[in-house]
Amino acid sequence: MNASATSALERRPSLRYRRRYLTNLLGWTFYGVFFAVLAFALLDIIAVVLKHGIPAISLELFTKPTNGVSGGLLNAIIGTFLLTFGSLLLAAPVGILGGIYVAEYTASPFARAARYLSDVLVGVPSIVFGLFGYLAMVTWLGWHFSLLAGCITLALMIIPYILRTTELAFRGVVSELREAAYALGASHAKVTLKVILRACRGRVLTGVLLAMAISMGETAPLIYTVNWSNYVWGGHLTHEPVGYLTYVVWSFINEPFDSAHALAYAAALLVTVFVLVITTSTRLLLSRLDTHKPH
Amino acid sequence: MHAPPIPKPFDPMSVADDASPATATEPVIDIRNLSFYYGDFQALKDITLPLNRNEVTAFIGPSGCGKSTLLRVLNRIYDLYPRQRAEGEVVIDGRNILDARTDVNLLRARVGMVFQKPTPFPMSIYENIAFGIRLYEKLGKVEMDERIERALQRTSLWGEVKDKLRQSGISLSGGQQQRLCIARAIALNPEVLLLDEPTSALDPIATGRIEQLIEELKGDYTIVIVTHNMQQAARVSNRTAFLYMGELVEYGATAKIFTKPTKRQTEDYISGRFG
Repeated sequence: MNASATSALERRPSLRYRRRYLTNLLGWTFYGVFFAVLAFALLDIIAVVLKHGIPAISLELFTKPTNGVSGGLLNAIIGTFLLTFGSLLLAAPVGILGGIYVAEYTASPFARAARYLSDVLVGVPSIVFGLFGYLAMVTWLGWHFSLLAGCITLALMIIPYILRTTELAFRGVVSELREAAYALGASHAKVTLKVILRACRGRVLTGVLLAMAISMGETAPLIYTVNWSNYVWGGHLTHEPVGYLTYVVWSFINEPFDSAHALAYAAALLVTVFVLVITTSTRLLLSRLDTHKPH
Repeated sequence: MHAPPIPKPFDPMSVADDASPATATEPVIDIRNLSFYYGDFQALKDITLPLNRNEVTAFIGPSGCGKSTLLRVLNRIYDLYPRQRAEGEVVIDGRNILDARTDVNLLRARVGMVFQKPTPFPMSIYENIAFGIRLYEKLGKVEMDERIERALQRTSLWGEVKDKLRQSGISLSGGQQQRLCIARAIALNPEVLLLDEPTSALDPIATGRIEQLIEELKGDYTIVIVTHNMQQAARVSNRTAFLYMGELVEYGATAKIFTKPTKRQTEDYISGRFG
């Protein structure tokens, strides 16, 4: 190298470059700070739940129903699973089929209306769903506080969510795959259900499972529709209130008793663990089913 | 029923691979005065072009010249998009396939298509091929196994996949995926294979194998290939059509097009002066 020429690394960086460097540094600092704030909030919640929840875990929780503000959580655990799976059973078929319809018949006025209404429904506060369930089913239909009213209310809340994620999953499938199936002479139904649905089933399932996690963590839609019961579900769809975990968290934490607090934290821990299991298995499933990853 | 007589739809099974020992110059697809529109934009202008049986015809031309569009008319795949329409005639066996009464599914069984990017379906290698067959025929397991083996052997894929037929088609390499797509198309016993830049996503070795395959298949199928690689067109095709700005500039024997083109534009294009 020529002695009089300095290399690019030795040269004093230009003003523009120094400004770029500074802006970059500033940007990363902001990212770092905001990430830390968010991560701290999440970790703090998990830490509090673990700290108070773990000592409250006992065999009794899983074997005995609640007795006033003490006892176990058997009734609430069973209730939470009944509500979650019941609402999913109602919402998944409607949401998935609706999502396919909206994705495949983009231009139809019905599809446009469905898409618009789901967007509106996603934005409605969950307590409003609770009130609707109360007025429509608990009082007007006369079902009283009941499992069915709770399941339908939760289903109404998560249908738009499943519909939109299914629609996006369908639209994410490359058009070449669609054309390739049509090029063999397959009908619209075969292309949609045998090829496209298969190509994006991981994403559809993810939407369903995340909706499941949402409904498991809800309290507000259930307060007015399912209420609460100290007893394990007796098998009636209507006219029987049911216990569920989030109610314990929401209500027992305000009671002035140690036993109530212990139950509230135990319930919070259980819900957190259940939701964590659902979301983690979702991710695992997605990575296995996501068939269009590059080599 | 007193409905007007509907023209008999194409029967994809009536024409077996070896049922047409016709002369090499009989057109299997006769394109007559074809124009094509994307909305208001005219992409093809009055194309007239006979495609000969059991020959390889290459469509060449710069990007946007209409070569892929022309290919996509031949199996009416453009039907999927509401703003696309064709005018003129594309005659197969004396029938204009652009006619609204054509059963496009049966047409597509006769005129198979392979795309630029390999498009294996998200199912096993076996199911990838069985999917197409099941759209038209109900076969027992033994017969289905035979058909699938034959299709895979025809595309020289059998040796590579015979022990993993149940694995996902997506697990194959790009070149293998493309041969699987060709196997899937020929499993329906088509007469015509449309190849839309079938090697542009592949490496040179995989490309060589596909070109070799085209050579092997042309005795049994009429092949139409769109390519932007002129050497490829020169290597694999019997006839070449040069398109430019939606018009057919020149059509003839590949050797002649590449050595003694009659039109100035063709000469400029093949000698690399534009495109």
